[in-house]
Amino acid sequence: MSVRHRLERLLRAEQAGLLAIITLMVIGLSLAAGSHLDEATGRTVNNFFNSYTLIQTATDASFIAIMAVGATIVIISGGIDLSVGSVYALAGVSMGLALRAHPPASGAGAVLLAVCVCAGIGAAAGALNGLLVVGLRVHPFIVTLGSMWILRGIAFVISKAESILLPEALVRFAKAPLGLGAALYPVPMLAMVAVAALGAVYLGQTVMGRHVYALGGNAEASRFAGLRLGRIQVGVYLLAGLTAGVAAFLGSSFYGSVSCGDATGYELYVIASAVVGGARLSGGRGSAVNAMLGAVLIVLIRQSIRTLHLDQNYEWIIIGCAIVVAVVLDQASVRFAARRLARRAR
Amino acid sequence: MRFAAVALFCAAMAAGCKAPSAPAAPAGDAPRASAKPIRIAMIAKSSTNPIFLSARRGAETAARDLTLKTGVPIEIVWLTPPTEDGQIQAQRIAQAVNEGASAILVSCSDAGKLTGAIDDAVARGVPVMTFDSDAPASKRFSYYGVDDRRLGEQVMSELGKLLNGRGKIAILAGNQNAPNLRRRVDGIKAEAAKFPGIHIVGTFYHSETPQDAAAEVIRVNNAYPGISGWAMAGGWALYTKTLLTDLDPKRVKIVAVDALPPELPYVEKGLAPVLLAQASYLWGNVGVTKIVDKLVYKQDVPPIVSMDPVRVTIDTLGSWARQLRQWGFPDVPEEYLNLGQR
Repeated sequence: MSVRHRLERLLRAEQAGLLAIITLMVIGLSLAAGSHLDEATGRTVNNFFNSYTLIQTATDASFIAIMAVGATIVIISGGIDLSVGSVYALAGVSMGLALRAHPPASGAGAVLLAVCVCAGIGAAAGALNGLLVVGLRVHPFIVTLGSMWILRGIAFVISKAESILLPEALVRFAKAPLGLGAALYPVPMLAMVAVAALGAVYLGQTVMGRHVYALGGNAEASRFAGLRLGRIQVGVYLLAGLTAGVAAFLGSSFYGSVSCGDATGYELYVIASAVVGGARLSGGRGSAVNAMLGAVLIVLIRQSIRTLHLDQNYEWIIIGCAIVVAVVLDQASVRFAARRLARRAR
Repeated sequence: MRFAAVALFCAAMAAGCKAPSAPAAPAGDAPRASAKPIRIAMIAKSSTNPIFLSARRGAETAARDLTLKTGVPIEIVWLTPPTEDGQIQAQRIAQAVNEGASAILVSCSDAGKLTGAIDDAVARGVPVMTFDSDAPASKRFSYYGVDDRRLGEQVMSELGKLLNGRGKIAILAGNQNAPNLRRRVDGIKAEAAKFPGIHIVGTFYHSETPQDAAAEVIRVNNAYPGISGWAMAGGWALYTKTLLTDLDPKRVKIVAVDALPPELPYVEKGLAPVLLAQASYLWGNVGVTKIVDKLVYKQDVPPIVSMDPVRVTIDTLGSWARQLRQWGFPDVPEEYLNLGQR
């Protein structure tokens, strides 16, 4: 394949727009950020384009991005999950209580127990959402709105609203420098990339993934094609819960404590990341890698408000406007593309 | 998707059109040629709470005064999140260090979440001081604030005296997650045990907004008609005017922490005869002063710098109102400013 052909393919790729914008933002912020003198090394350091800020930005995005991959799968299927923030809190609190009740003898044991509890609670909560959606035949917005309150309430009751400290082994795991040097913690960022890659493989390369697109694209046609829609729906909510559990494990381990108030309001950032990443709320369209890039872009906008020393009181307004404008223009582009296709067909 | 991305970029860039704000220039004397500027990142719990805005004002005033006094340019960088979130605060601490802050002044929403971030900052050579809400297990060099348990005891002691040691009372406790509020509630309960004639009907938690707090008070009062006193771990409910009409000062007495301008009418009407004010302006002012003591004058700062609450009653209402106005609160009712002045 020629270089030109590869370049054309890259430019046509679904991620090209988001990647270009992220790159432009990084360049713009690096130019506008200014610099400071590093006391330790005596060198001048760019306030944005330095390894600490870049990894910190990726870390901030990672917990949202991991949940956004799961949320995107739900959205592609035509559903919605408002409970991911509460699943995060419940999984984290359950992990804290389990580790307190049964302190493992070794660091590896603590990590293993924590992963199992978080993933288990997350998957169970997600599966419960799916079963309720399928069994009660109630719109997922209502079901997950209810479970959002119920799950956070359970986290509140079982933790007695305490902030529970986690064993040092978990913090060491989530903050392992992996040879990068002190105070550089790439584990959450790598986990984000891994989860997005797994999501992309699941959606793009497996039969189950194609079924999810089919369900979201046209549920009736999928039913007539013999797909077991209930099973697919339970599966997608289970995956959303599982990713929330994984994010809870990483986020809680990184910060070293859990409380029932964790991730309050994060469901909105998660859904926004999926939508900015191009997921269509009516189903049938979306991408795991784009959801990750959407989360990175949103966190980058938040970071730019700090880096450029803008009045942070405008943060919500800026992010809200950006999301609304993005979605409106995205829908317009879809309509435009459909019209163009129709014209060509004539 | 490219359209969406372009739109996002445009919105972000539009936001970025405003030029970065320049560091505050010294108001008077020029800094010494050799003086290295000091940038203090201030991270309070929430930028929507007026009590932290007065702390910011205190910090900025101290920075201005100390810039003149020391000749070292001192800048306050406000990195407070809009709502309480320990995780976001931890991210802001890392950001401050990455951007070359000289020191950090933080009030911890969740000590457990912030301990690691504070220790990382200290390990990278940035000293951290806490105010209002501490992270005692961290490597912060000092904490400035009230002793919350003692403050709770004082609230109950005042209420016990007002009720002559008898009656049913309720505790308004704010957010159940906040460790400093929990310590205040512990103090209230411990002190209440010294009054055998006082019965606590319950401890009531709520979202820390004035409307939610006031609604909770009204709900509880309806559910327990015999309540004669409220021990409030914070002043949220008194930021509204609702309770001035819903509660009868002859039947109910309130003692609350904090005495911000909206709470002053409660003192005047006798519904809250005693308020125990935290001088929130001093959180910022003293915090910055202590950081400058450490960085510029190389002085040792004690690990805990204790703040005593100010007792606000009808007798001290005028002087407290004037103090609030002096600290920059614009909404102090005019009628209180002349009280007690000859």
